[in-house]
Amino acid sequence: MSDKIEGVKKLFTSKSARVETNKGDAYYEQLFKKCHERIESLKTNQPINNRLDIGDVLETHGIERRDFLKWASAVTGMLMLPSSFTPLVADAALLMNRAPVIWLELSDCAGNSEALLRSDGPKIDEIVLDVISLEFHETLQATAGHQAEKQLEDAMEHFKDKYLLFVEGAIPMANNGSFGTIGASGETMHDHLVRVSKHAAAIVAVGSCATFGGVPAASPNPTGAVGVMDVIKGKPLINIPACPANPANMVGVIIHYILTGQVPELDSLLRPKFAFGYRIHDNCERRAHFDAGEFVEEWGDEGAKNNFCLYKVGCKGPMTFNNCSIIRYNEGVNWPVGVGRGCIGCSEPDFWDKYAYERPMADANIKAPTGGVEKTVDEFGLGLLTAAGIGIGIHAAASMAAGKKEEVGE
Amino acid sequence: MKAGYKQVKRMTTYMRLNHWVVAFSMIGAIVTGLYIGHPYYQSFIADPAVGKYVMAWNRWVHFMIAIIFDVSSIVIAYMYFFSRFEKPYKKIIPNAQNIKEFVEVIINLVTLNRRKNFDSTHADSFNTVFFLVFHLMLAWMLLTGLQLYVHGLASGLSSIGNWWPWMLHVATDWTIPVSNMLIGSASPTACIMDVRISHHITMWWIIAWIMFHVYYQVWRTIFWKEGDIGIVVSGSKFVKED
Repeated sequence: MSDKIEGVKKLFTSKSARVETNKGDAYYEQLFKKCHERIESLKTNQPINNRLDIGDVLETHGIERRDFLKWASAVTGMLMLPSSFTPLVADAALLMNRAPVIWLELSDCAGNSEALLRSDGPKIDEIVLDVISLEFHETLQATAGHQAEKQLEDAMEHFKDKYLLFVEGAIPMANNGSFGTIGASGETMHDHLVRVSKHAAAIVAVGSCATFGGVPAASPNPTGAVGVMDVIKGKPLINIPACPANPANMVGVIIHYILTGQVPELDSLLRPKFAFGYRIHDNCERRAHFDAGEFVEEWGDEGAKNNFCLYKVGCKGPMTFNNCSIIRYNEGVNWPVGVGRGCIGCSEPDFWDKYAYERPMADANIKAPTGGVEKTVDEFGLGLLTAAGIGIGIHAAASMAAGKKEEVGE
Repeated sequence: MKAGYKQVKRMTTYMRLNHWVVAFSMIGAIVTGLYIGHPYYQSFIADPAVGKYVMAWNRWVHFMIAIIFDVSSIVIAYMYFFSRFEKPYKKIIPNAQNIKEFVEVIINLVTLNRRKNFDSTHADSFNTVFFLVFHLMLAWMLLTGLQLYVHGLASGLSSIGNWWPWMLHVATDWTIPVSNMLIGSASPTACIMDVRISHHITMWWIIAWIMFHVYYQVWRTIFWKEGDIGIVVSGSKFVKED
């Protein structure tokens, strides 16, 4: 409740969702100078530990420099920077191994890590994420138990106030957080997160669970799961929701950080505007079918064969902000609507309960305002009308039988 | 006119005109709104896409009606306080006289007109409060509707200038957390789907409101025998002379 009151307090202070795509020459010239200086000074630093050199890694994967520069110009466009920034972005990507990252894994399915690791033939996004200076990653590291804790301590001490903290997964809060513990000492996920975030330069919540609670927080949310922003206050926090978060957006945020030393411009849900400033619906390849009223009525019907709009089988593109309809997944290979199943709104809060039900909202099972009872919105509405109709009917019948009409003199 | 009755003017021409504009807009908004929420009829599949623009037309009509509603509501809100004919706000103030009248009108309704201890020549307190509920629901529909509309202007640009989406955000972003509270969501973070759910549920309340409104006016006409149903056509009703 107090969170909601807090939300109401912000009523008139919330920033416009406006995305400034062109901030003027003067701004970009000054930014270019600043970024250039920063990149030059980072170049003089040695890579942290014995990290791979991204140039070598790209070469072993058979990716030519030309492809790498094409990728760099795409990232520049994604970050809404002028094309003159392309060499700087390429440099920033090559300096990825100078950014210390600690990656925590809390209550989730490890899907975001999977998204990075399991792509068939890693593309440049994934490779770049491979060579970041990943100091600690609970799922990937070989060490365990006290050894792992020691490693975390070392990383936190060594890169105090410098490391980027990536968090994947929700934080169970019920029963004092006892639904999830980590490590040999049985520390709760909540305490673990609070401890590690204390000396982070910035926190990046990756995936829907870490941002808004995601699937663990779905009704009835037995573990009391919440996102990072509901636990950690007073730290620079960037949310990269989606299930899984798009590696391109993670790279975008890291490159932005390396390039400018700052977090990118965020919307009211702390999502970077360069990625979440646009509505999926507006850039959807099936949008024309929506306007024409051509819908897939059921899976595999004539409409589905003709790539009609998926709105009636529950696509939530019109209510979801993300860039998947532009950049897609796996380096532009495809995305959910492209393969013929609608958007489930995975980058919005509460998506599992309020978006991912494969039918239009009007047909959805949502919690009735009284709580507990599940009714579809329209069943509730028809129930209301039935109640009103019965009330009116009873009153009308009673009036007919026993009502007193005013005397009218003829 | 029957002997012993006097004619009482109850609605000005503008008020009657507004009533019917609102009534037909309401029907149009419900018909198109239900389609937008769940497209309930199909376009002819054989037609080329260019010849059918079904969802787009439904949305166009829905938004046009919304604009007519907007303007009408602003005028109604003004007239609540400054109408020279009658000032409805005077009937909403919970003073002793209004509360007594409010209760008496309800008693009249539940006793099936066996008791009628109030003056039915003028607009009564019960109906005015009932209409206030309607106006509040309508205002809520307008604000949530504009919030849903501005999602489509995500880039911050519009054909009439950047001030328009900016203004809509400033004026309606607060409906997101308020919707979250209204639908009783357990989530700590409000989302734009809450606005959509609230917009849709409020429609059902408005339809229920219309049902009672129509029934009650017909009932009054039958049992009071003062020609109440004619008010919205001719502007007058007829009451017995004392």
